[in-house]
Amino acid sequence: MTAADISTRQATEANAPPSAASLVPLPEADVTGLPAIERPDDAPVPPRHDEAPRRPFGTIGLLIVAALFAFPIAWAAAESFKSTPDIIKYRLPLGWATFLPPHPTFENYVMLFTSLHFQWTLVNTVIASTGQVIIAVCTSTLAGYAFARLRFPARNGIFGLLLLTAFIPLEVILVPLYVLVSSMGLTSTYPALFLPFACSPFGIYLMRQSFQQLPVELDDAARVDGASTWRIFWRIALPNVRPALATLVLIQFIWSWNAYLWPLVIMQDPTKQIAQVVLASYQGQPNFPLDGPLFAGVTVVTVPLVIIAIVLQRYYVRGLMTSGIR
Amino acid sequence: MKLNPFSWQSNPTRRGELVVGPAMILPAVAGLCIFQFAPLGVAIVNSFRAFNPFTHRAGGFVGWANFTAVLADPPFLQAVLVTLAYIVLMLVVVVPLALALALLLDRRMPGTAIARGAILGALAASEAVSALIWNQMYQPDSGLFNAVLKALSLPAQPFLNVGWQAILSIVVMSAWKDVGLPMLIFLGGLQAISPTLYEASSIDGATPWRQFTRITLPLMRPSIVLAMFMVTLSGARLFTPVVILTQGGPGGQTSNLTFYSYAQSFLFNSPGRASASVMFMLALLVVITLVQAFALRSRQGETA
Repeated sequence: MTAADISTRQATEANAPPSAASLVPLPEADVTGLPAIERPDDAPVPPRHDEAPRRPFGTIGLLIVAALFAFPIAWAAAESFKSTPDIIKYRLPLGWATFLPPHPTFENYVMLFTSLHFQWTLVNTVIASTGQVIIAVCTSTLAGYAFARLRFPARNGIFGLLLLTAFIPLEVILVPLYVLVSSMGLTSTYPALFLPFACSPFGIYLMRQSFQQLPVELDDAARVDGASTWRIFWRIALPNVRPALATLVLIQFIWSWNAYLWPLVIMQDPTKQIAQVVLASYQGQPNFPLDGPLFAGVTVVTVPLVIIAIVLQRYYVRGLMTSGIR
Repeated sequence: MKLNPFSWQSNPTRRGELVVGPAMILPAVAGLCIFQFAPLGVAIVNSFRAFNPFTHRAGGFVGWANFTAVLADPPFLQAVLVTLAYIVLMLVVVVPLALALALLLDRRMPGTAIARGAILGALAASEAVSALIWNQMYQPDSGLFNAVLKALSLPAQPFLNVGWQAILSIVVMSAWKDVGLPMLIFLGGLQAISPTLYEASSIDGATPWRQFTRITLPLMRPSIVLAMFMVTLSGARLFTPVVILTQGGPGGQTSNLTFYSYAQSFLFNSPGRASASVMFMLALLVVITLVQAFALRSRQGETA
């Protein structure tokens, strides 16, 4: 799967024979040297010793870990059902009302979707994410298939160069990119939000890897039947890489949903701004605290995404591992 | 693109690929050239140019003047130190935590799925939203952490209002959010270790601690190297939590290279300094990436 895993496996194989060999004589010596009565008591203990007594502690540990990691988001969701004065009132003397709403109310959500017009912010975020996902899927599958299957000059060189862009941090190119997108007349437009990051080196790499794993015989058989390259790509290769497509869509969606720095810089029209940036503007309003709507907005933006990631964690984890290990 | 005559060009079924192949990669190549390589080139060139102080248009070349100006700027030097502090603290906090969590989750006991889901959930949440929530918990007068400290009769802490505590607060929040990725790498590494090694060594009478130091750690070394560099890179690029939690404050004490260059370009309108500081950032990331590539390659050479 990855370079690290391969080398780990190699290390395992290299180490396994000598240690196994050095351990094998011991049980035999036991058999000959020790009285046979003691063996049934002693022998099974070591492997079980590792498993059985630890289970309750392990499960308690796991539940503590789960609670710690789930807490901030769960707490924010609970706070979203408190009125802003309640949030401030019940926080300091620590009690159950610090964590749970004493007077549950939907007023934060009502305010969020009436006077704050957060629904438009959500629409903007969906437009930006959808645009990015669609373009990323198109460009990545096309390029991934060409890099995996078609032969043309400088193929691997170009592929390597495209992968290098994964190492260009946004922070480094932020100002020139801003100038570039502005000079294209795109400032404060929807395409400005997603166009610069729609071509994804991660997506190209993922799709190339997936197409490479398909058997070549599939292509050859179709080619013998007279199918064109495009037809093979569209009708045979693409339907066979659905899991990779799911991974690509999910990861690109989460990335663009969570983008902050670029929308903060390029989107100057507040009516087209995305959720992350709008939410950040709710914090620290000294005269008109928006703590309640802030928590409500955080819940609306985050909880569905987190649930999607957990439910689809098979694809999510695969995408993370591919994006992290190039 | 120049088409060279290759031997398989005579094959009629393959000849079409010379056109279709480049056509299929064209959108991706164009997109990445326009939005990644071109701005990178401009960023490098701009770091050697003067800027009009009023229009911020790039002017003539001034050699290393932007770099010397930045090196003479105390906030920049502080930002370099803060960047290194973030990297070191992230490594110290995240890598051992990720390893501990991976060891706990690798045993597949009841509760594993819940803990894994919670950690992945934190990973999927956005940095901005996470920082907004943690900001509420860190508030010195009404925050949750101080409420807990008060309930335990411990002195209240300023958290984000004092330099070193603010740095630690940012690191703790980032660790909570990002520990899942190195943990997944470690889980992959742990599952590649043959269980027979543990069985054999426990027959040999090895304690769990000895098994950990003599079997797990040595075999996990490639995963640990990989995770360390991923944490280093993300620590070097830390931005969103700094903007939302502290705005670089108090007194610039949490401002790292990323935030410094952002502030120079978008808050203080100083494009010369911004473009030079960005080059220091780029150099740092290139060095980290090259060291990573070298470390991983030499490890593979050792084991192969």
